[in-house]
Amino acid sequence: MKGLRRAAPLSVVYAFMDAVRWRPHAESATPRRDRPIGLYVLEAGGCEGCFMEIESLAGSAFALEQAGFVCVSDPEDADWLLLTGAVTRVCAEMVDRVWRAMPPGRSLIAVGACAVDGGPFPAGYATLGGLQALTPVRRSIPGCPPSPQDILDALQELARL
Amino acid sequence: MTGMGRLIRGGERLALSHYRLEAAQWAEMLSAPGPTLPLVSCWVDERSASVLVLEGDRPLLASTPVEDRRYLAPSSRFPGAEWGERVGYDLYGVEAMEARGNGAPALDEGGWTSTWPLSGQPAPAAGGLRPLAGSHLLRPEQTGLSGPLEFSFEVHRGAIRTVEICAGGAHRGVVSRLLGKTPEEAMPLVSRMTAGGFVAHPLAFARAVAQARGLLPGPGIRDVWMILLEIERMSIHLLDMARTARGVDAQLLATHCDHAREAIARACSEQGVSRRLMDMVTCDGFCDGLEIVPLAQAVHATMQPRLAALEELQRVFAPRLKGFAVLDTRLAARFAVGGVTGRASGRGTDMRRREAGMRLEALRTTGSSQGDARARDGLRLSEIRDSLRLLERILGSIGLDDDEPAPDRTGEGIGVVEGARGDVWYWVRLKDGRIENLHVRDPGVSLIPVLESMLRGYPVSRVPAALGSIGLSPSGIAQ
Repeated sequence: MKGLRRAAPLSVVYAFMDAVRWRPHAESATPRRDRPIGLYVLEAGGCEGCFMEIESLAGSAFALEQAGFVCVSDPEDADWLLLTGAVTRVCAEMVDRVWRAMPPGRSLIAVGACAVDGGPFPAGYATLGGLQALTPVRRSIPGCPPSPQDILDALQELARL
Repeated sequence: MTGMGRLIRGGERLALSHYRLEAAQWAEMLSAPGPTLPLVSCWVDERSASVLVLEGDRPLLASTPVEDRRYLAPSSRFPGAEWGERVGYDLYGVEAMEARGNGAPALDEGGWTSTWPLSGQPAPAAGGLRPLAGSHLLRPEQTGLSGPLEFSFEVHRGAIRTVEICAGGAHRGVVSRLLGKTPEEAMPLVSRMTAGGFVAHPLAFARAVAQARGLLPGPGIRDVWMILLEIERMSIHLLDMARTARGVDAQLLATHCDHAREAIARACSEQGVSRRLMDMVTCDGFCDGLEIVPLAQAVHATMQPRLAALEELQRVFAPRLKGFAVLDTRLAARFAVGGVTGRASGRGTDMRRREAGMRLEALRTTGSSQGDARARDGLRLSEIRDSLRLLERILGSIGLDDDEPAPDRTGEGIGVVEGARGDVWYWVRLKDGRIENLHVRDPGVSLIPVLESMLRGYPVSRVPAALGSIGLSPSGIAQ
């Protein structure tokens, strides 16, 4: 078996065994919840770096679901809106539309420097300069971009509040 | 030299590859007999309209003055110029005469603070977002892309017939923010142009600035830049492969791509640099503290053992991608589509091949030219193998000298980089050490005019999967 593992996988079965072996585990104790917190991710006009790091977090290299979160594709299923990017003026309508589609009890979290105050893209003819132009930003995750682990740690911290 | 190239060179030479044509010369160039040179980009401001074309693998830039806020549309000869003309109208209110297409806004969807915001005399904003035509919409949050790009379609019996793209949501006015800055002041913003090119964009900018300053980076810097670019290429190819795989429910392949991409990011982080290599490139080299040899070795050691599994899985799932979202060979050539998408459709352009110091023997990829998602995905994996081979070659002879001469200092420069998603171009003009004018061309721009052909006949529900297989960066397209 040791020899098999060392060799490059030559079949889908070996590849599947590899994927299982790599499966990440939540490192810290996760508080029990009735159901996972639904995350809806929205890019509103940045470099896309923060969005891609959340995409990595939602992929198979991180234990997002074991940590008590699940990414959803419909805002009606979401508890938290994770917003990335500087919020262009064209995207403001999209942010509002998605926010209104979320059920009561929703939360808004700015991920990355742009989403808070625009970062390197402050207010201009095409940009609002981050969420703070629309609403007070109470929950945010700093970084440019924050790593998937940073984002996961911050989400767990926010979930404990 | 082609007829069109000869006519361009008949203009007043402004810089190494830049010629100014009077209106009559411009018109003659646009109606020149013989083949049309491949158009890389078209851009317009209040003073001039420009086209950047390729003669062989060499860039040739032609500009003509804008008179009375009008100019003869280059799209009358170069169909791919239409996007640049529409952007020019949205930003400056400059009108393209005899243009192709319907002239619909490219960026200004109505939410800006003013109309023609970069012109000397901006007009009041119309107010409210422009309603989109088309019977079906794909909202920006539904495309599966990393950024906000909106699509509207005419659909007949469940199949897409026409496509309109609105990129205004991703427009941040980056170029206007860069004007007046020194290249060094501009670099942090250029480094955040798009996450699909955290290395490629600043590197193309650095090359343009170096040419404008009459400088030639030494072989050591050149090799560091090449290594950074190949690491980014592997990472972005894995991202696009994972998205493509998820689009056809090939979750196991996507899982392996996810893990490989994350392993590269961690290898970078463990070597003390940013996970996605952001802020590594500077105008005259690379950031302090970068130890390129251990970084390249770590990434190579991380990625090499994963290739066999990726290749095996790709063989298993490739039939699901066969014949999906095909880019016709003739269209790829007509619109000078670059990168993996262009090469998978038979276009052989890879700007790395013209770089001084390139270890050409490492670039061995020859893939299918069927133009479908399977060809693109196969090419990505093949290019990852090339990247690893290139890292080996560079590490074996890092800093090897060559005889490339430094260019003359003209205050203008053109820089190009073969990024993971295609050829990234920067044109920059400096005055008193500051950026007087600038143009950025992301490879996604050349995909805009061919998307309709690639998506035609599919239901709207298949569009995200098709887009994932193409590798589009909305932030790069709209800036």
